[in-house]
Amino acid sequence: MDAKLVNPFIDALVNVMPQMGFDVPKRVSMSVQNQTCKSLGVSLIVGFTKGLRGNVVYNMTEQSAKFIASKMMMGMPVENLDEMAQSALSELSNMLTANAATNLTAMGYEVDISTPSLTVGQDFQIKISGEQYLVVVMDLGGENMELNIAVQ
Amino acid sequence: MERLKVLIVDDSRVSCSILQNILSKTNFGTCEVACSCAEAIDKYQSFKPDIVTMDMNLPDADGIECTRRIKDIDPSARILMISAMKDASLIAQGRSAGISSFLQKPVNPNELIDALMFLCQDISDKIGELKDLYVDAFVKVLQKSLFSLVGVHSEVSSHLAVGNYLDVDGIAVIIGLTGMPMGRAIVYMDHDTMRKFACVLLGKESDAELTEEEASDAVEEAANIIVGRGASTINDLHDSEMRISPPGTIAGSNIRIANFKMASFVITAETRLGNICMNIGFAEGE
Repeated sequence: MDAKLVNPFIDALVNVMPQMGFDVPKRVSMSVQNQTCKSLGVSLIVGFTKGLRGNVVYNMTEQSAKFIASKMMMGMPVENLDEMAQSALSELSNMLTANAATNLTAMGYEVDISTPSLTVGQDFQIKISGEQYLVVVMDLGGENMELNIAVQ
Repeated sequence: MERLKVLIVDDSRVSCSILQNILSKTNFGTCEVACSCAEAIDKYQSFKPDIVTMDMNLPDADGIECTRRIKDIDPSARILMISAMKDASLIAQGRSAGISSFLQKPVNPNELIDALMFLCQDISDKIGELKDLYVDAFVKVLQKSLFSLVGVHSEVSSHLAVGNYLDVDGIAVIIGLTGMPMGRAIVYMDHDTMRKFACVLLGKESDAELTEEEASDAVEEAANIIVGRGASTINDLHDSEMRISPPGTIAGSNIRIANFKMASFVITAETRLGNICMNIGFAEGE
């Protein structure tokens, strides 16, 4: 897939995260993987269709997930990834993907997005593409979030 | 659509936990508790419940007075009185204050659910509409597709999902639904059913000939076909433009998938290969 398609997703993070009190996210690494990604513990999958068809997975450790949820909830301590914290993360993935969709439109790809599915587990894999997909690791101010982007 | 929100107004911890326990097993899952009239007014404004259960005896006012104050803030508030006392005089006073329905403690769970469903009929009508418009189409498509793909007959049933979580041991294929309505479909089954299903679909003589990757790919492709057919059927029936995203396939054990702000339905097909299930969820407000 075309590597320039990661930019709308990275830009979405750079746009949205500071609005919620995060530092401006920095790109740590970018790579290409085949078919299946291993969940880091908490994974949010959002699908998109129309001008482009694919999936984006926001993949993170439980610790990163708690850090992000806490920050989103005005610094409220998050001991467990409870329903409220999970709901906040779901909302975040929705906002990020909607923002990325707007960025994709500016590149000439109009896309519709699905509702997010948040998946939690100790040891599971997610196949998001029949071929290769792109992995971008972003630093959100001490904790990382991995973006897996697959476009057909 | 979100699960319906209930504010329990009762100064007895025991009564509150009994009600919470009953509600946790239903679609009226999200609860807040207020132990006094003042707290009830505060929580009504911050939590914005779909329905309030009201006790008669509160430390700072009675249930009738508390109802009046809530009705002052929101004349359309739905209030159900749940009290140890239930007599003609109390019912008359309650009705004049705007209480729609009365139950006596101890509460029978079925009576409580019926009363809540009745009071929230306008909300439950939306659930009925989603079921009629979309879920029933997926029920038929699942049954037909299983027969055409692997030649199995199935008993298919559907019901409203309880809670925000779906627990999966085996495989789950998540497919996004975009357009109107927006949501997602998940086709899932346990590991053993996945292997049996894949053997039949791929025409393998024995399980030993099948790799894990082939098995999960077979289920993924079948899910893609089933959800695609379902969406097309809905588009034809309702002149809508539902589209499906490519599948995201999750394999493993003890996986928990959460969906918030959704009305979701579980469709189960019982087959000789095992249970093949679908969870169809639609975003709130669609």
